[in-house]
Amino acid sequence: MVSLARTIRNIQRVGLREWWRQMQYIGDAKSGRFVGRDQFGNRYFENMNAEEEIPGRHRWVDFAQHDFNATQVPPEWHSWLQHIRKDAPPEDPVFAKVTPPWQAPYIENLTGTRGAYKSYNTVAPKINAWEPKVKARA
Amino acid sequence: MSFARIVGLQPRVFAVARNPQINTLVSRRLVSSSSCAHAQHAPPSLESNLDEKVNRNRGHPSSAAPTSDLSVDPYRNGPSAIDKAVHIFFFTEIIRGMWIVLENFFRPPYTIMYPFEKGPLSPRFRGEHALRRYPSGEERCIACKLCEAICPAQAITIESEARLDGSRKTTKYDIDMTKCIYCGFCQEACPVDAIVETQNQEFSTETREELLYNKEKLLANGDRAEAEIAANLLADHVYR
Repeated sequence: MVSLARTIRNIQRVGLREWWRQMQYIGDAKSGRFVGRDQFGNRYFENMNAEEEIPGRHRWVDFAQHDFNATQVPPEWHSWLQHIRKDAPPEDPVFAKVTPPWQAPYIENLTGTRGAYKSYNTVAPKINAWEPKVKARA
Repeated sequence: MSFARIVGLQPRVFAVARNPQINTLVSRRLVSSSSCAHAQHAPPSLESNLDEKVNRNRGHPSSAAPTSDLSVDPYRNGPSAIDKAVHIFFFTEIIRGMWIVLENFFRPPYTIMYPFEKGPLSPRFRGEHALRRYPSGEERCIACKLCEAICPAQAITIESEARLDGSRKTTKYDIDMTKCIYCGFCQEACPVDAIVETQNQEFSTETREELLYNKEKLLANGDRAEAEIAANLLADHVYR
């Protein structure tokens, strides 16, 4: 809660329903331009007006899942959200050029679940137990 | 001389309160309106007085003698004793410090609400590792082991074999992420841009075992984030 005037202004802009959702997740009434939606349904917003949003807080994400975490943002949107790239992925000409056809679907960090990565050896074992081979008797 | 002037509060603070324009007030609040603490006794012109200090001993070639400095008044350009006594007895430094606290109390906080909002990151940020592929889908790594050689933490382990088509490829490419110090030497040493450090910093795990990355995991990282990696390399290629 930054100031009462800002809160009331943003409630007027986004509506009561959206404001209630923001209070459940971000915990602050924010309003801005809807930039896009990724393949998981996360919504991305931007407000470049420095009088309304502190610079550094001007880009934000509204997660689709209730159990949200930071890795649910796919890499293209991650580079927009962390201010690495200026343009959002749908408008960025570079992303359209460099995305290969074999790009794998993004998976969030699954640690703590059954899908967590478990390390394994990628080469055949070099030391094997002796397996005696008996020649067939004549 | 008003009390506000004595304690170092700027008169423009009160001038702003009388200003009917709200926009000016808001923009004023975004920048600091407190005067710099160590600038209060500075002369109006921004000069370093270096010439005076250099030339102070010019008339005294035998500056080794301590008695020759007695004619020089080191406090000549400083504040007077009354000035200093006023600042001591009226606690002006404490009041000025509390004024800064009061100013920031009425300003919007600078807190960034992670993970909804995130701070800026460089395209050269060194985070989680990934192995890249060529645009054809062929994996880039040629098992030259330069990254293994340069790794100061010795976190990389590589074994290689010749494939059926004769090209040398790795069979084992392990990075112990608990050893890695994220220095970025591996991606600098790589001649084919195979091993890179992506901008992903959110790969924390519950167990230590999950941080022992093997080749499959690194290739999967690269397959998912290839567009981001390639865009960052493209943005940075003129400086490399």
